[in-house]
Amino acid sequence: MYYCIPRTVNEALQTVAEHPAGAFIAGGTDLMILISEGLKKPDGLIDLSRIEDLRAIRKDEKFLILGSAVTMRQLARHEDIPLCLRMGASQVGSPQIRSVATLGGNICNASPCGDTLPGLLVLDAEFLLKSLKEERRVKAKDFFLSPKKTALRTGEILVEVRFPLIKLTGSSGFAKIGQRRGQVISQVNAAVWCTLEKESGVLSDLRIAAGSVAPVPLELTALEEKLLGKVLDDETIEGVRQVAGELIAPITDVRATEEYRRAVMGSLIVDALRSALEASGRWKGGNK
Amino acid sequence: MKISFRCNGKPMQLEISPETRALDVLRDTLGLTGVKEGCGKGECGACTVLVDGLPVSSCLLPAAKLEGTEVLTIEGLRKPDGSLHPLQQAFLDEGAVQCGFCTPGMIMSAKALLDETPRPQVEDIEEALSGNICRCTGYGKIVQAVMRAAEKSEEGRHDG
Ligand SMILES: Cc1cc2nc3c(=O)[nH]c(=O)nc-3n(C[C@H](O)[C@H](O)[C@H](O)COP(=O)(O)OP(=O)(O)OC[C@H]3O[C@@H](n4cnc5c(N)ncnc54)[C@H](O)[C@@H]3O)c2cc1C
Ligand code: FES
Ligand code: FES
Repeated sequence: MYYCIPRTVNEALQTVAEHPAGAFIAGGTDLMILISEGLKKPDGLIDLSRIEDLRAIRKDEKFLILGSAVTMRQLARHEDIPLCLRMGASQVGSPQIRSVATLGGNICNASPCGDTLPGLLVLDAEFLLKSLKEERRVKAKDFFLSPKKTALRTGEILVEVRFPLIKLTGSSGFAKIGQRRGQVISQVNAAVWCTLEKESGVLSDLRIAAGSVAPVPLELTALEEKLLGKVLDDETIEGVRQVAGELIAPITDVRATEEYRRAVMGSLIVDALRSALEASGRWKGGNK
Repeated sequence: MKISFRCNGKPMQLEISPETRALDVLRDTLGLTGVKEGCGKGECGACTVLVDGLPVSSCLLPAAKLEGTEVLTIEGLRKPDGSLHPLQQAFLDEGAVQCGFCTPGMIMSAKALLDETPRPQVEDIEEALSGNICRCTGYGKIVQAVMRAAEKSEEGRHDG
C-alpha cells in the first residue's frame, strides 16, 4: 500500500489516474472503519486533507464556497455558515471526530443519515466535481443515488460545495434524533430554510429536507406546498406533526423502526423550524 | 514511508508502513502506553491525543497523517520539573479516577478545552468530554476535576 499527500487538486488527480485502485482519504473517519472491517481494500490512499484550496471557506459575488476538506469543526464555528449546516456539523460524532471529519467526506460517503446532507439540500447546494478530463457541477438533489451511491465517477474529486449568497438572507435550522445525546448517528434528521413576510409572518419561501427517512436525503416538497403562505401558529404546527410522517417512506433498520421514524418526523421538523426562527426572535409556537 | 513530526516536544523521524494507525505508532513504536485502545472505532475516546492542539481519536488516524504535526499525549503533560499538570493533579484531588482506563483520553480532551476556553461552564466541559466514555465513574467527579483545574490555572495566572 502507498500513502501520498498531494498539495494540489491536480497532483491528486494525476495520482489517481496513475493508480486507479487507490482511494481518496479526507478525515478518514468513515474510510478507516471500512478498511479495518475489510469492506474496502484500496491499494493506496491519496490524502486530500492538506490541499489548501480544499480547506478554504470563501465568498465571491454570488456564492458562498466551501472547500470539500473543510472540517466539521470549522463549519460548526464559522459565522457565515447558515444554521442548518452549522448545527448539522456541530452534531457529527464527537469533538475528536469533528476535528478531522470533512464536509466532502460526509457528502461522498452518502449515508442517508449524514448530518450535513439535509442542510445542503435546503440551501440548493451545488457540487464541483473535477477529473483530469473535465469539470462539472451537480446539484445536491441529483448527487445522491442510493445509500453510499453517488454521481461521483472513478477518478473524480469533489472540489467544492457552493450555494447562492441569497440563501444567507433566510432563516434556517436543523434537528436530529439519535438514541442518546452526543456521539450518536442520527435515526432521523431534518433541516429547514425559510423566509417570512415582515409584518404578517406568513411563510413566503420554505424548504424542508430530512435524512434517514428514505434511501437518500430527501426534500419534502408536499409538506412545503402545504405550509407555504401560512403563518406558523399553533394550529399549523400541530398540522405539521400530524401529516409529516405520512409524507415519508422510511424503512426499519438497526437504528429505528419505520413506525418510529414516521412518528418523530413531524416533531423533528417543528424543532428545526423552532431553531431557525428562535434565533431571530420570530418563533411564535411556544415551547412544546 | 518516512514521517517526521514532533511528539511531546521532541522531533521524531520514523519509518512506518502506510497501513499503521497513529495509535500503534504511539504505543508500540514510541512506548507511549498512556494512549489507550478501547473500541478501536472512534467511539470511546480512550485513544485521544492532541494533534496540532485539536483532540483526535488516534485509532482512526492513519499514522501517515502525523507528518509535519505537533502531537501531545498524556506523557507530555508533566512539567519539566516532574510536577503534574493542573488537570492531572485535579483528577487525583477530586478522585475522578477509578480503573483509570479512560483517564488519559479524558485529560487530553479537557486540555484541548482549557487551552481554548480557560474558564469553561459545566456545559462546555460536558460538550468537550462528550466523546470520552467512562465505564466506572458517574462523570460528576470528572467534570468537577476539570472545573478545579481551570480555577487553579486561573489562580496561577493571577499569582504570577
Ligand atoms: C464514532 C463516529 C461517529 C460518527 N458520527 C456521525 C454523525 O453523528 N453524523 C454523521 O453525519 N456522520 C457521523 N460519522 C461518519 C463520518 O464521521 C462522517 O461521515 C464524516 O463527515 C466523513 O468525513 P471524512 O473526511 O472523515 O471522510 P473519509 O472517511 O475520509 O471519506 C469518506 C468517503 O468519501 C470519499 N471522499 C472524501 N472526500 C472526498 C473528495 N473530496 N472527493 C471524492 N471523494 C472523497 C473517500 O474516498 C471515502 O470513500 C461518524 C463516524 C464515526 C467513526
Ligand atoms: S479506541 Fe479510539 S475511540 Fe475508542
Ligand atoms: S475510570 Fe474506569 S473507565 Fe473511567
